[in-house]
Amino acid sequence: CSEYQKTLKNTDVKAKYDLAEELYDSGDYKRALRLFEQIAPSYVGKPQGERILYFFADAYYQTEDYYLAAYQFERFSKSYPRSDKAEEAAFLSAKSKFMLSPKYSNDQTETNEAIDKLQIFINNYPSSDYMSEANEMARELRNKLDKKAFEVAKQYNTLSDYKASIKSFELFLSDSPGSIYREDALFYKMTAEYNLAVNSIYARMEERLSAAKSTYTTLLKYFPETKYQKDADKMLAVIDNELQKFSK
Amino acid sequence: QETSLDKGKKYILGGLEVTGVKSYNEQTVVTFTGLQIGQEITVPGEEISKVITKLWNLNLFSDISFFITRVEGEKVFLELQIEELPTLSDVKITGLKKKKTDDIVKEAELKKGKKVTESFIANTKNYLLNKYKKQGYLNTKVLINTVPDTSEANAVKMIVNIDTDEKVKVKNIEFLGNEKLKDNQLKKAMKNTKEKQFGRFWKKSKFIPEDYDTDLSTLIDAYKEKGYRDARVLEDSVVYNDDHTIDIKISVEEGDRYYFGDIDFVGNAAYTDNDLSRVLGIKKGDVYNGVLLRERIADETKPDGNDITNYYQNTGYLFSRINPVEVSAQNDTIDFEIRIIEGKPAYFNNVTVTGNERTNDHVIYRNLRTRPGQLYRKENVFRTIRELGALGYFDAEQLSPNIINPDPDAGTVDIQYGVVEAGSSQIELQGGYGGGGFIGTLGLRFNNFSIKNLFNKDAYKPVPMGDGQTLALRLQASKFYQTYSFSFIEPWLGGKKPVQFSTSLSRTLQFRPTADYRDADKDQRFVITGINVGMAKRLEWPDDTFQLSHALSYQHYDIQNYAVGGLFPFSNGTSQQLAYTVALSRDNTFTNPIFPMGGSKFVISAKFSPPYSLFNGVDYANLENDPDYKLKDANGNFIDAEGNPVASVDDAAADEAKIGQEKLKWLEFYKVKFQGDWYKQLVGQLVLRTNAEFGFLGAYNQERGVVPFERFFVGGDGLGNYALDGRENVQLRGYPNNSLSNRDGSTIFNKFSMELRYPITLKQTASIYTLGFLEAGNAFDSFDEYSPFDIKRSAGLGVRIFMPAFGLLGIDFAYGFDPIYGGNTANGWETHFIIGQQF
Repeated sequence: CSEYQKTLKNTDVKAKYDLAEELYDSGDYKRALRLFEQIAPSYVGKPQGERILYFFADAYYQTEDYYLAAYQFERFSKSYPRSDKAEEAAFLSAKSKFMLSPKYSNDQTETNEAIDKLQIFINNYPSSDYMSEANEMARELRNKLDKKAFEVAKQYNTLSDYKASIKSFELFLSDSPGSIYREDALFYKMTAEYNLAVNSIYARMEERLSAAKSTYTTLLKYFPETKYQKDADKMLAVIDNELQKFSK
Repeated sequence: QETSLDKGKKYILGGLEVTGVKSYNEQTVVTFTGLQIGQEITVPGEEISKVITKLWNLNLFSDISFFITRVEGEKVFLELQIEELPTLSDVKITGLKKKKTDDIVKEAELKKGKKVTESFIANTKNYLLNKYKKQGYLNTKVLINTVPDTSEANAVKMIVNIDTDEKVKVKNIEFLGNEKLKDNQLKKAMKNTKEKQFGRFWKKSKFIPEDYDTDLSTLIDAYKEKGYRDARVLEDSVVYNDDHTIDIKISVEEGDRYYFGDIDFVGNAAYTDNDLSRVLGIKKGDVYNGVLLRERIADETKPDGNDITNYYQNTGYLFSRINPVEVSAQNDTIDFEIRIIEGKPAYFNNVTVTGNERTNDHVIYRNLRTRPGQLYRKENVFRTIRELGALGYFDAEQLSPNIINPDPDAGTVDIQYGVVEAGSSQIELQGGYGGGGFIGTLGLRFNNFSIKNLFNKDAYKPVPMGDGQTLALRLQASKFYQTYSFSFIEPWLGGKKPVQFSTSLSRTLQFRPTADYRDADKDQRFVITGINVGMAKRLEWPDDTFQLSHALSYQHYDIQNYAVGGLFPFSNGTSQQLAYTVALSRDNTFTNPIFPMGGSKFVISAKFSPPYSLFNGVDYANLENDPDYKLKDANGNFIDAEGNPVASVDDAAADEAKIGQEKLKWLEFYKVKFQGDWYKQLVGQLVLRTNAEFGFLGAYNQERGVVPFERFFVGGDGLGNYALDGRENVQLRGYPNNSLSNRDGSTIFNKFSMELRYPITLKQTASIYTLGFLEAGNAFDSFDEYSPFDIKRSAGLGVRIFMPAFGLLGIDFAYGFDPIYGGNTANGWETHFIIGQQF
């Protein structure tokens, strides 16, 4: 029976506290956590509570249990708003949420929460040293949300539901004007419009070809060096050729 | 002590004294306030009121007040006086059985440590009174006392006395003033309040005031349905009798019978009066029926009903409002105006999905029937929910369509589908003794696999999931027998269209034991290797619940010194099968794939091999006369069946093994099958499943004969164990397994069954339903013998349990009414265990 096991079963809170801090300092966060879990409630409201709660939260963070780390850091920064560590805790709470954000193609509840958290941090601590990292994380998450919307809109084109694709890209372009996927969105919107036009009934073909052409113009106006130039030009050639039939 | 104060003067906090604490440490309370000695503080001011609010929110104190004890120059000394709420230390419930008291403590959350306030006591009392009243204990009395608990500081014990008395039943319901409707009709209309009666089993007699009030209005509805628009309850009285019963007296005024007059539509632009009249289905001169009118406009019991509201809702008019107004009532005729505000048609803007913590977006979005830019149609929303449920990745009971941001001015609306991931993997791991040694089985089935993440170690949580693919692996091995199988299904090959691609590989090895039976003799073996590739496509015509599928399968049988009874007339050789299967199927069952409530499902399929005998030039009829197929001895001389040399080739015996090998070198056959299932919701959740099945196996070349493979085995649970010969076990309960076919299997069969199903629970963790069935069917050896009405009948009862981790488990007890094996008495009772079979 090791000393650790004995202390775990011990009822002496002080002994647990000492060992927990020793383990925490030596980087054995997993074992420290089990002790912190036991003693944290009894130190709430006591002077050492501030120290323990911070270590407790950080131990979760270090063991990559971000879900609990986010919770405990937030609890810390709420309980000790005047602490020296309050800013760091607020940041790490937001960062833990950031770490929980899943890949773009899954539910983005955590991403939205993380963005909110980061924004609150940025507002509360405008001169923080963590500012640039917080901004970088917020940007990354917003890009993720943009990618999600972009990929869904693009999928409608793949599914040959061109109208849904065009509508989705319209919404995307107006909702996220500064997105890094703007160029891609314009190109794929043109692609969907092109596909809709060339598969169109005769009566609506001219209007649809013109819509695709107009998106081409927008794409080239904002992105003169676009990586999609070649493909877009190819479609444009077909569009112009088809449009000639209507001008006669 | 009074100290005069300037309004909001700034001080330094010199000290904070806490008084009135009982169980808390003074320091703890100071920490709660968040105030620190030495900080600046305005008195009176915002900080103090914030602290008070904060303390109140803790729900720990019944009184909180601040006082200034003294002021010394810039310093202010405060006193915080609090009164702690007592905490609950123990609950004692009297008047009930022990088990029930535990439940109550749990339900009413009478936890140790709760703060005991007046409202807590009142709430608990009301909760208990309601709980028992709802069960029919109308005379329940609840008394709650608190006594200080001396063993703990500031704690109280709660003593709850519950006296439920006896259940109160309804002895008599008496109606006064009813002439047009009989007492019985009125009693029937009261759905929840019933008279005490012997044999009343489903709906026990009890009196619950809320339900009784509802019943009074359904009583009036019964009149309204018959045209008595003015019917009303004049008065009703409830009289308590001494014997725990009550008498109810209801006097009604029926009024006159009315008829519908003119029904005008006002405000309709999208549809003509004629269109709407047709949907409404009520004509001038019909007996007035207020309930029917309401239902024809909007039937709340049927969200997808065929009423006027849905007529609009299914064509984009999300914002439409329909309101019937009585414009005149002359004599017995009532004229109506149906006022319609159509609003703009709504189009979808953002269509989103939330809750897909595992399943990737593209797997879900491709199944959505509502897309951005489309016209809003309620039926498409319902259909989406139904189809998402059928995918099996989500909890079908928890799918929710949420209409958000409806904008009547712009004519747009967003919709968000909330999904909850469900366990969709099955694992089978078992070991046991049988067949002369240890048999181990490992089966894995992942229904929402992601093959592209197979080599991405981050995706293993615990296996790569989320792309909607199915991957199944099964390994079974013992000393003498091994089988491996692997299968993979991608439901949307290429991601453009719902083209399902499937592939499977399997290999089975069997060995004879060595002479001492200790080991397997690898030289005596029977090996089957198979590969199957299939493609299935959802059709757009006649409608998109149809599916056309193609499959190509190849099987190789390798036999070395191994006599396979029945199937192969040789013990050394090979046999191969190459077959193409084409099937047309339709499945529009809904909503829950485990327990369909309606719709139908059918498959018609044909499987056939190339017609080798057409062009290979072998004269199968005369093989036995061909010198090449006669028995020979080691020196090449012809012999007879006993092994004696013969003079002439004609006298030599035919070499059956060689003939068999020639006939089975490449299997030649065709097979046609039909299976249909219809589901119909009868009453409530009671569902009728009607099923019909038919199968026929034939040969192109009658001389070559029908292959001993691919045959039908009718009778029993219908579970396929190991199908080395492509056999098909057909379920027909009430008879032993395969008992209705001969030993080698039948070439033609038909079967009909009717099954009533009723669910006990349809929760995600376990779906359970009971069933009762009638079945009939039979198998025949050739088309000439086929007689569709010469059938074996059975009836029985059973239960099914579906749990995501185990699949389907069930047991059926069935009685076979007809004799089998040429006997002349009924087969009698059979018990069938159903494992893993989905439907």
